[in-house]
Amino acid sequence: MLSWYTLTLVDYVVVGTVMILSMIGLNWVLRRLGVHRETATGYSLILPWILGFLIWNLGPFAASLYLSFTEYNILQPPTFVGFDNYVEMFTDDRNFWPVLRFTLLFAVINVPLGLVGALLTATLLNQNVRGLGAWRTIYYLPAVLPAAATALLWRLMFTSNGIINFFLGPLLDLINQPRPSWFSDRDLVLPSYIIMGLWGVFGANTVILLAGLKGIPRDLYDAATVDGAGALNKYLNVTIPMLSPTLFYVLITGMIASLQTFTVAFFIDTPGRSGTFMNVFIYQEAFEHSKMGYASALGWVMLLILLLFTLLVFKSSPAWVHYEGEKTN
Amino acid sequence: MATIEQTQPLATVVPDSERSRPFGAWLGRGLMYGLIVLGAAVVLIPFFWMLATSFKPEAQLFVYPPQWLPDPPRPANYREAWGALPFGRFLFNTVFMTVLAMVAELFTASIVAYGFARYRFPLRNTLFVVLLSTMMLPGILTLIPKFVMWRELDRIDTFTPMTVAAWFVWGPSFVFLLRQFFLTIPREIEEAAVLDGANTFQIYWQIMLPLVKPALLAIGVLSFQANWNNFEGPLIYLSTMEKFPMVLGLQFFSETLSQEAPKMHYMMAMATLMATPILVLFFLAQRYFIEGLTVGGVKG
Repeated sequence: MLSWYTLTLVDYVVVGTVMILSMIGLNWVLRRLGVHRETATGYSLILPWILGFLIWNLGPFAASLYLSFTEYNILQPPTFVGFDNYVEMFTDDRNFWPVLRFTLLFAVINVPLGLVGALLTATLLNQNVRGLGAWRTIYYLPAVLPAAATALLWRLMFTSNGIINFFLGPLLDLINQPRPSWFSDRDLVLPSYIIMGLWGVFGANTVILLAGLKGIPRDLYDAATVDGAGALNKYLNVTIPMLSPTLFYVLITGMIASLQTFTVAFFIDTPGRSGTFMNVFIYQEAFEHSKMGYASALGWVMLLILLLFTLLVFKSSPAWVHYEGEKTN
Repeated sequence: MATIEQTQPLATVVPDSERSRPFGAWLGRGLMYGLIVLGAAVVLIPFFWMLATSFKPEAQLFVYPPQWLPDPPRPANYREAWGALPFGRFLFNTVFMTVLAMVAELFTASIVAYGFARYRFPLRNTLFVVLLSTMMLPGILTLIPKFVMWRELDRIDTFTPMTVAAWFVWGPSFVFLLRQFFLTIPREIEEAAVLDGANTFQIYWQIMLPLVKPALLAIGVLSFQANWNNFEGPLIYLSTMEKFPMVLGLQFFSETLSQEAPKMHYMMAMATLMATPILVLFFLAQRYFIEGLTVGGVKG
C-alpha cells in the first residue's frame, strides 16, 4: 500500500531532477555552440514549457487527429476507417445532435447572461460603496466552492421540496403552477444548469469587471462632464468602451469554460440523456464504451466549435473592443 | 470603433442630482445598498443551506416548507459519513497529489514566466503566443492520447499522471499572470545583482521570486484549488477506491447513495469538509488572490 506513494514519489523526483539537469545541460550545450549568453539562458529557462508543449500538447494533439480516423478500443491497435467516425456522428448517432444542442444552448445563454449580470453588479459596487472589500469577498465565494460541492448543493436546493421552490412559492401560487422538479424534469434541466452556472460564475466575473472599472481614469469622466454628458451617456460612451477589453477577456474565458462543462454533471442525475454535456459524452464514449477513435472525432468537432466561437468573438472585437494604446484615427 | 471622441454632448445640462436633491440621492443610495445586500443574500443562502443541511437529522431533509435550522443539530452526520467510506485515506491522497503537483507547477510556471519576461531570444513572441493559444485547447481532446501514453508507461491506477506531469508547466495562464508581474519589476534590480556576481538561478530565486510574492500567492491558491478539486484526472486514471481523492470519493459516495435514498445530509457534510481548506485559504490570501486574479483580465 505504501508502495503506491513511493512509486509516484520516485517518478516525481526523477522527472524533476531530469528537468532541472536538462535546463542546465541545454544552457551549457548552447553556450558551447557559441550561442549568445542571453539567448542560451532564455531557452533554458523556458525548456519545461517547450518539453511540455511537445509531449503533452502537440504530440497528443496530432495523435488524436489520427485516432479520429480510426477504430480503436485501446486493447487492439487502431484500424484506419477514414471519415467513418465523422459520418457516423452526423448521420447515425442519435445522441450527438441533442448533446451538441444542449452544450451550445447552455454556453450561449449562460455566458452573456452572466456577463450582463456581472457588469450590472460591478457597476453597482463601483458607486463608492462602503465596505467594498467585504462585499467583494462575499460575491467571489461561489467561485471558491469546489464544482463538486456546488453541484451537490444545487441538486439539493432544486428538489421539489427544496428552497428554490420555497422562494418561488408565492409566484407559483400566483400563476397556479405546481412546484417544478428542476433537474428531474427533462424540460427544466437546461434552465436549472443555467441558474446554477450563473450563481457559480457571476461573482468571479463581477470581481474582475470591478477591477476593470476601477482602472478607468477619472479625468475621462471629468472631460465628459465638461462636455455635458449625463450619467447614462457617460456609462455608454466612456465606461463600456474603456471596459471592453476586460469584457472581452471575460467573454472568451467564459465561453471556453462553459463549452467544456464536465465535473458538475457527474454529481447531478438528470432523466435519460437530457443533461449530457459534450465533454461528458466524449468521456463516456471513450472510457465507458471503449470507442477511443469515435471519441477523438467528437473531440475534434468540439475543438472546431471552440475555435469557431473564439474566432467569432475575435472577429467581432474591432467593432466593440477599444484598446487605449491604439491609434484611433 | 467605439471611442470616447464620439461622445455626443447632451443638449440639456443635467445638474448634479446628488447635491441638488438630497432626498433623491438618499433614496438612490438606499436602493443601491438594498440591491447589494440582495445579491449577497443570493450568494450566501446556498452556503448557509449547505451547512445547515449537513447538521440535519434525516427526517428534516425534505420537509416542506423547508426547515431552516437543524433541530437538534446533529454533528454525528460528519462522523457517520466519514466512516461510511475511507475518507481519511481520500483526504491523505488529496493532500499528497495536491502538494506534489503544486510545488512542481509553481516552480516551472514561475521559471518559464521569468524566461519569457526577461530574456530576449529568437521566436520568443511567437512561442509566447503558442503558449497562450494552448489555453484554448480543450483538455478532453488530448485526454485519450495521454491516457494511452500513461498506459504504455504502466502508470494507470497510480498517482503519477496527476502529479509528475506538473513538471511540464500545467497552467499557461499561470505563466501569463506571472510574466505580467515580472514585467512590472524594474530591470535595474537585476542589473545590480549581476554586477555583484549573482547567477541566473540566484537572481530568479533570491531576488525575483520574493518580489512577485503576491502573484505567487495568488497562483498558489489557484493551483491548490485546481489540484484539490481535480476530478477529471483521478476519474480517468484511478480505479482502486483506496487511491481516490476526496472529490472522487464524494462522487462514488453520491452514486452508491442514490441507489437507495439520497442521503443529502451526509453529502453536504462531506462537501463542506472538502470545501473548508479552500475557503480558509481564500480568506487568508484573498487580498493577493483577487489582485492576482484580476491582473490577467485588466492588463491583458
